[in-house]
Amino acid sequence: MALDSPPVGDPRQLLFRLYGDMCRVRAFELGLEREFKRGNVPGMLHTGLGQEAVQAAIAANLSPTDCFFPDHRCHGLLILAGTPGEKIMAELFGKAPGVCSGKGGSLHSADITVGNFGNNAIEGSMMVTALGAALGWKMQKADRLAAVIVGDGTSGRGEWHESMNLAATWQVPLLYCCVNNGYAISTPVGFSHATSDLVDFARGYKIPAVQVDGNDIEAAFAATRAAVEHIRAGHGPYFIEYKTWRWQGIFSGEFRPAEEVRYYREEHDPVKMARQKLLAGGMAREAEISELEQAVNAEIESWIAFAKASPLPDPAKATADVYVGWEVATRCRS
Amino acid sequence: MQIVTMVQALNQALDLALAGDDKVFLMGEDIGRMGGDFGVTKGLWEKYGQERVRDTPLSEAGFIGAAVGAAMVGMRPVAEIMFADFLGECYDQLVNNAAKMHYMFDGQFRAPIVVRAAAGGGFGGGPHHSQSVEGWFLNVPGLVIVAPSNPYDAKGLLLASIADDNPVLFLEHKALYRVKGDVPEEKYTVPLRKASIARAGEHVTVVTCMKMTHEALAAAAELAGEGISAEVIDLRTLRPWDAATVLDSVARTGRVVIANEAPKMGGLASDVSAVIAEEGFGYLKAPILRVCGLDTPIPFSVPLEKIVLPGKEDIKAAVRKVVTL
Repeated sequence: MALDSPPVGDPRQLLFRLYGDMCRVRAFELGLEREFKRGNVPGMLHTGLGQEAVQAAIAANLSPTDCFFPDHRCHGLLILAGTPGEKIMAELFGKAPGVCSGKGGSLHSADITVGNFGNNAIEGSMMVTALGAALGWKMQKADRLAAVIVGDGTSGRGEWHESMNLAATWQVPLLYCCVNNGYAISTPVGFSHATSDLVDFARGYKIPAVQVDGNDIEAAFAATRAAVEHIRAGHGPYFIEYKTWRWQGIFSGEFRPAEEVRYYREEHDPVKMARQKLLAGGMAREAEISELEQAVNAEIESWIAFAKASPLPDPAKATADVYVGWEVATRCRS
Repeated sequence: MQIVTMVQALNQALDLALAGDDKVFLMGEDIGRMGGDFGVTKGLWEKYGQERVRDTPLSEAGFIGAAVGAAMVGMRPVAEIMFADFLGECYDQLVNNAAKMHYMFDGQFRAPIVVRAAAGGGFGGGPHHSQSVEGWFLNVPGLVIVAPSNPYDAKGLLLASIADDNPVLFLEHKALYRVKGDVPEEKYTVPLRKASIARAGEHVTVVTCMKMTHEALAAAAELAGEGISAEVIDLRTLRPWDAATVLDSVARTGRVVIANEAPKMGGLASDVSAVIAEEGFGYLKAPILRVCGLDTPIPFSVPLEKIVLPGKEDIKAAVRKVVTL
């Protein structure tokens, strides 16, 4: 992570900083969604709208020498990690200046310079990749941790459980960030899993685990901070379940109960909640907040403009980097 | 020079790799205290300790995935899959993660892992302990598949695989573990992606690998008595395989038999055959023949297994056929 350390000693400054991070995520996703609907963004779109607090809390607690494996609603984390936002936006547009030269897209965006070890569209499989990174750090006696961010929908997979079993056995510095937004595409967690509280699984593996309201940025930040301190003190893995909710429905539209939708979008929206808290607590003035929001929106629009204006990847990229050190044979095309 | 078994040659390679680079470590089921199901890691746990010779649970996706993650932070893991048949358990980690990482992240990451696995049949191991699995992985860009046929190559290829920056699936045929050969005591490498001409000949090229190399050499020795001179090419690296050496041989002989223990459909033999047909058609004096396993699972009962797996006599019959066509 390349951003400044969070001002933990000053609750006002901390909340203001985290609010800014969340605004950046919200504006990024809204701008991206708009461009997607206009047909400017290829492929599929999974936004992190509604989950901004989780991403801000994780990003603010990792250090530049840690590594993290983002989930597939992670654009916010990608930009908060310190990668120039225009390089992330260009990647999602499949353009040459993208962080992976347009070869990865939304589901495969890595930036080794900020410790972003890339997301992976085989959801949940990174549970074991992150385990290995944490094992590597431990064997190197490095003061570093690995973090893996996964959705609730991945918790039925074998790799989830294999990872936790081995992390607990090997006592590696691994932070599990489980983003429980209640549904795997259309299926409620409790309908297809033995529990709706995924901390239950972690506790079964004797991994310290906590459940937190992932839409309350202060709670999410504090839980993440405590977990990271536990790991940095050499006490092994830690599991956080962030209870949250995603704005995006399914491909055909909204499928969740109307009251649930209303509650999360109107009363329990993480960005709105943080904004109200800043105002109600007298921690920031309306003008100050509006100024921040306008600056963020302008920044995001500049990234979108950059991505649109950027060139497509060099055709040579199609066959580059299949192997390290040798070219792939293209002799048998016809 | 020393005369050692392939198991001992592989053991020496692992020992030299562990001694030479503290980033190298081993993972697998029963590779520590027990020294591995076939004894390949014998003595290494005592010498290097349980951190670097790490016993795992039956958790192939877990520890192969962990190998990939450890490689991303600079380690050089060598993992053992007890039987190649179990590779299905970690298929995703190899195919979707290790093999694609360098490409999809635009060269930012590497996954220099070696996954050793005991392959092949012929010993009554039954359907889940006998398969030749190279075909499962041939269609995976980014992956390297190495498969030695003798102790000298085994040691040199394993050291080369550990030194290589790509993910390597290293197949060890179980029937070859006790085969002996001359092996230098010191560290050396045998180049990846380079086939060897195991026997020079003039009338027909037999392209093969692993245990079938021995079947092909025995067939060639007997065919020599019939006045047929067969060249035997041991591919050694199966992905990407050395088309230049094969095509050069076919240009000289004009006739080809491809021998592979795996089932015929969609396998290595099919790929070699197709490339020769596409790029060496002008050299051919006869159709290409493939000698492969039958398109069946591998049965337990030994006489049934003998029906399913190919051998020396099948190669001889195929060679006799192509030289008369």
